[in-house]
Amino acid sequence: MNISDETIMAYSDGELSAEERAAVERAIQGNPELEMRVARHRGLRDRLKLAYSAELSEPVPDRLLAAARRAASAPTDGKVVNLNDARQAAQDDSRAANDESPYKTGWRSLGGIAAGILLGLGVGYGMWQQGGGPITRDASGALVATGRLKSALTAQLTADQTPTSRVHIGISFRSKAGDFCRSFALSGAAAPVGVACHHGAEWQIQSLMKGEAGEVGGQYRTAGTEMPPLLLKSIEAEISGEPLDQAAEAVARQQGWQAPAR
Amino acid sequence: MNTSGTSQNFHEELVALLPRLRRFARNLTRNPHDADDMVQIAIERAITRTDQRQPDARLDGWMFKIVRNAWIDEMRSRGRRNKIFAPEEAGERIGSEAIQQEVTLMSVQAAMLRLPEEQRMAVSLVLIEGLSYKEAAEILEVPIGTLTSRLARGRETLQVILGGEGEIK
Repeated sequence: MNISDETIMAYSDGELSAEERAAVERAIQGNPELEMRVARHRGLRDRLKLAYSAELSEPVPDRLLAAARRAASAPTDGKVVNLNDARQAAQDDSRAANDESPYKTGWRSLGGIAAGILLGLGVGYGMWQQGGGPITRDASGALVATGRLKSALTAQLTADQTPTSRVHIGISFRSKAGDFCRSFALSGAAAPVGVACHHGAEWQIQSLMKGEAGEVGGQYRTAGTEMPPLLLKSIEAEISGEPLDQAAEAVARQQGWQAPAR
Repeated sequence: MNTSGTSQNFHEELVALLPRLRRFARNLTRNPHDADDMVQIAIERAITRTDQRQPDARLDGWMFKIVRNAWIDEMRSRGRRNKIFAPEEAGERIGSEAIQQEVTLMSVQAAMLRLPEEQRMAVSLVLIEGLSYKEAAEILEVPIGTLTSRLARGRETLQVILGGEGEIK
């Protein structure tokens, strides 16, 4: 009986029907060459399983656990937050609207990985809600600033802030959508940084990521030059025109960060 | 939305699946950081798409597929970006940590890294994750015949790399 390599492989993997299996077993009887081929297939599988078994006992990062647990506690009314999808939709819009800017490509590229990172932190912050953290979810599931972050975004001018300000505002700018946006850095272990845009009555968190060594000697460093490259890229991609200078920032604050028609 | 999808049971299954999802994603992306990012994206996508899951579909296979699709999206996106940012991006992506990890990988894992992605995925799903040919073929969106030939070629290559047994016929 002629037995193909693929049949031997399928037999070794337990993929054959009972009849096929019986046929192969009959052929293997007294055929050391076939027997060895089966042993090789199974030996390789055992080796692979062994080589990859240690990975299963590695600790899972908190951000992934949080994301998976969020899956359980998420509201089931269809308004589950998915920044990634929202971002993708926004990208699709902007792509359609304006395809010649070189920044477009950079912004789009953030969609996958960056959104994943942002989302991880966002989910984590969402869960702070009960603890009165700086970020929460509004009724539609969007991440919005609250507490001291909201106050700082609304009231704090970059000219006034000191190295000890608990929230540090980086730059203020108009987004391509016309909203006023401000980058911020929070103190704390994760030293999160991000961008919030004023929309309606809320500061919606557009991006959020872990800052790099936010605190140095107990003092918060000036935001801006230390912003993670990913955040800078997302600002570059979202910004319309130049960042606001101090005078323009003060005017925008006075007008309640309401985007003037243009 | 299908409420059963976000039940306590779903959550527990998902948490229990995380180690395997990470392992699969590492075999897919060949980079632990990318792998975790893809797992995270997949979880978020899964939450919003529980209604798209066939009631009898295994959670692992369904999630593997979402991880793989997330990676396909990411690679497309990088392809576009690389047209403009190639030089810096290349420098950023190849961190010393990643290289170090590759150097210290066990020989079997090192051999896996050398397989073409198609073969690596077939080997990963069937031999490491223990899925059936049919399930693996569905995840990779290929006919079973294609899956088995990729699996056979992947095995052959691994045997050759891992000990020269490939010559024995």
